[in-house]
Amino acid sequence: MKKILAIVLSLCMVLALCACGQKEQGGTSKDFAPDPEKTITLIVPQGAGGGTDTQARQLVEAMKEVSGFQNIIVENVTGGSTGIGTNQVIDAEADGYTLLMYGTYVVCGTMTGYTDGYKGLDFIAGLSLEPFMLAVKSDSPYNSLDDVIKAAKANPGSVTLGNAGATATTGVVAYGMNIACDNAFNVVAFNGSSELIPAVLGGHCDIGVFSQSEVLANADGLKPLVFLGQDHSVLDEFKSVPTLAEAGYGDLNVPGGCFRGICCTKGAPAEMEQWLADTVEAAFNSDKFQSFLNENGLLPQFSKLGDFEKFNSDMIETMKPIIQATGLAAGEYAK
Amino acid sequence: MSDFLLGLGLVAHLATFAWCAFGSVLGIILGALPGLTATMGIALVIPISYQLDTATGIGLLLSVYCGAVSGASIPAILLGIPGNPNAIATVEDGQLMTKKGLAGQALGGAVIASLIGGLGSEIFLIFFSPLIAKMTLAFGPAEKCTLALVGIVIIAAVSGKSILKGLLMGALGFVFAFVGPDPMSGTLRIPFVEIFRKTPLANGFDMTSTLIGLYGVSQVFSELANLRKKQNTNVCTNIGKVFPPFKKVASMWQIILSSLGIGTLIGAIPGTGASIAVFMARNAATGICSRNKKKFDQPGTGCLEGVFAPEVANNAVTGGALIPALSLGIPGDSATAVLIGALMINGVTPGYSLFSQNMPLVYSLFITLCVANVFMAVFQLAGVRLYPKILLISQRVLMPIVLVLSFVGPYALAGSSVSKGIYYVGTALFMGLVGYIAKKNEYPIAPIVLGLILGGMFEEQFRRGMKLGAGTLSRFYTSPICWLFIALSVVIVVSTVIKRKKTENAKV
Repeated sequence: MKKILAIVLSLCMVLALCACGQKEQGGTSKDFAPDPEKTITLIVPQGAGGGTDTQARQLVEAMKEVSGFQNIIVENVTGGSTGIGTNQVIDAEADGYTLLMYGTYVVCGTMTGYTDGYKGLDFIAGLSLEPFMLAVKSDSPYNSLDDVIKAAKANPGSVTLGNAGATATTGVVAYGMNIACDNAFNVVAFNGSSELIPAVLGGHCDIGVFSQSEVLANADGLKPLVFLGQDHSVLDEFKSVPTLAEAGYGDLNVPGGCFRGICCTKGAPAEMEQWLADTVEAAFNSDKFQSFLNENGLLPQFSKLGDFEKFNSDMIETMKPIIQATGLAAGEYAK
Repeated sequence: MSDFLLGLGLVAHLATFAWCAFGSVLGIILGALPGLTATMGIALVIPISYQLDTATGIGLLLSVYCGAVSGASIPAILLGIPGNPNAIATVEDGQLMTKKGLAGQALGGAVIASLIGGLGSEIFLIFFSPLIAKMTLAFGPAEKCTLALVGIVIIAAVSGKSILKGLLMGALGFVFAFVGPDPMSGTLRIPFVEIFRKTPLANGFDMTSTLIGLYGVSQVFSELANLRKKQNTNVCTNIGKVFPPFKKVASMWQIILSSLGIGTLIGAIPGTGASIAVFMARNAATGICSRNKKKFDQPGTGCLEGVFAPEVANNAVTGGALIPALSLGIPGDSATAVLIGALMINGVTPGYSLFSQNMPLVYSLFITLCVANVFMAVFQLAGVRLYPKILLISQRVLMPIVLVLSFVGPYALAGSSVSKGIYYVGTALFMGLVGYIAKKNEYPIAPIVLGLILGGMFEEQFRRGMKLGAGTLSRFYTSPICWLFIALSVVIVVSTVIKRKKTENAKV
């Protein structure tokens, strides 16, 4: 009995300590600036080190520089096909201090039923588009998209097509391509691109759907087959990689890349949202961030608040038929 | 070479050295306090490391790691209580040396041994890591799955007195690993899905909170049972000579090499860890000493050999464990599991891409590891005369401190989210109860942790391997690496069972 009492007492002590950790809410002044006692947390719903994460960290550094507000951190919350991180932002206090690195993956996650996604978020600013590529190991016998599709159709299930996750955007690309090819591929979902890249480099998986920066980082080991963006890559290294239309598959309708932006919990104070949007805009236009975009072949696509929301609803309309065609759509998005 | 200089540039700040010094002192203190492990030490400084430059932050984490592994020998030698599992095998000879009045030489010898082990294994890490990084490409899902199998089998076979109990605890770890999202489809697998869907539990049990609960909190619960028992007050404060004679150390080169090899190798195999390595190293040293009775004293009689062998091995594990951690992203032991998490928070993803994209950072990591080892030795030697005083603290004062630290760690880990912090504290408390019940009934705890780490890995890689093989086992039986690992698992199980039978027969 005494032991139980001791355990209960020690638990009480800990709870008391935790309660001390909560800070009191301060009032807001007219000339708006964020509460210096608070920390702005940008939640990246993907693992550290990937393209989304790198861009988030670059943006946060630029935001600190242009605003002078130093309490901005990046937090990686993985799992649930980016749904866990997204839900954490949706459920956070609506004070504008919890941000989400929004992206095409959230649209996929919403349509496939893992999160309420864009319905529970306010839109701050759209940033950039990162084009996708299909690539194989550098000594692979396949030299073009045509080679791959012919080999898959000749012997269905024998060619493995890897992606970064079943409900990731690259997953939608893989499933979309597979459906268009009469299920000729063996589509395998990996746990993020950090597992997909070594699997293709090591010859365990035949083809992978990568974002352009991932192929660039492993240019020695990977051979790009086709560029999924609208026009050719802006990078010198990949200028000669054919687009889908040039490869002879112009009718293949799959997402061409991953769009990224910043969102916050729905219902945040308007002045805080305005401050965030202005800060992100200044950070986006900084030389450092612009050169980051250029070096990584990312296409700048800035929009703010209402414009970003409109841009997003256009993106949703474009993606809806693709996701419905893959058969992954859930709830109101299913046919 | 330019990569190396860039790496040096990342490290060469006064702040790096200051934080490494701080980390070493903190690590030694944490290691020396019973119940606090290297794992918990790392978890405690994660929030600090996060505020620093990447290279400096990693230096801090590595310093705490090395310090805590080495500091555990202090209470082992003075009191016969290992500070953490790393020092289990140091207890016998260390305690006997203290009783002989050689405490100073035992403590000093342990530090020298730790330094040799730490730096020796780092040489392996530096020269073989790039090679291993290339070799890791041969590890696809099927190979990783069978590798996890080997880790699970080893721990179940070696830990504790009963294989059955080890396996049962491993299975419990598997059960804990299954909580959370399905690795292939992302569907939630958790009781009361509707309640837990939007909580951090939807992501499964948090690894650090689980480890702190199983080791730290459960220790407090165990000590509650001894609350009214007489406290250990007869701490030996007579230190004596600190440095062992150089000749003696040099004559033990065979023991040092065998311990270094065993420590590095065991450290590099995921799912093993120091507690196995130290016993293997001590056994090997016993073999060497009995073959050369004139030259060496026999371990078990209170001699420097018996302290040196496990202390070289446990710090060799630190370098060894970093090999798969950095090149494969697979933790070599539970401390490196937390370290990987900490690296990822700092924006560094271990694995193939680390070596292909960020060699300067890898070199800066090697340099800080070297600095961490040297600081560990300097500070631990400097304080040899002070340590017995720390151990004079009564358990009645110490255990509440341990408990508070055990809850502060997970809570701080949750970052800005208060509700997440409470869930982590709850996880630590729950796992503390699990650990207490297991300990009380003489079930080993280590297999739970390894089941949790390796169970998730085993399942995910098995299913992906099956998918790549279009629903057949072809990816497994066509891979020589898989056959090797499967054979190794069988050999380990069979040899352990035979050995147990023999000792049982000998007793009868």
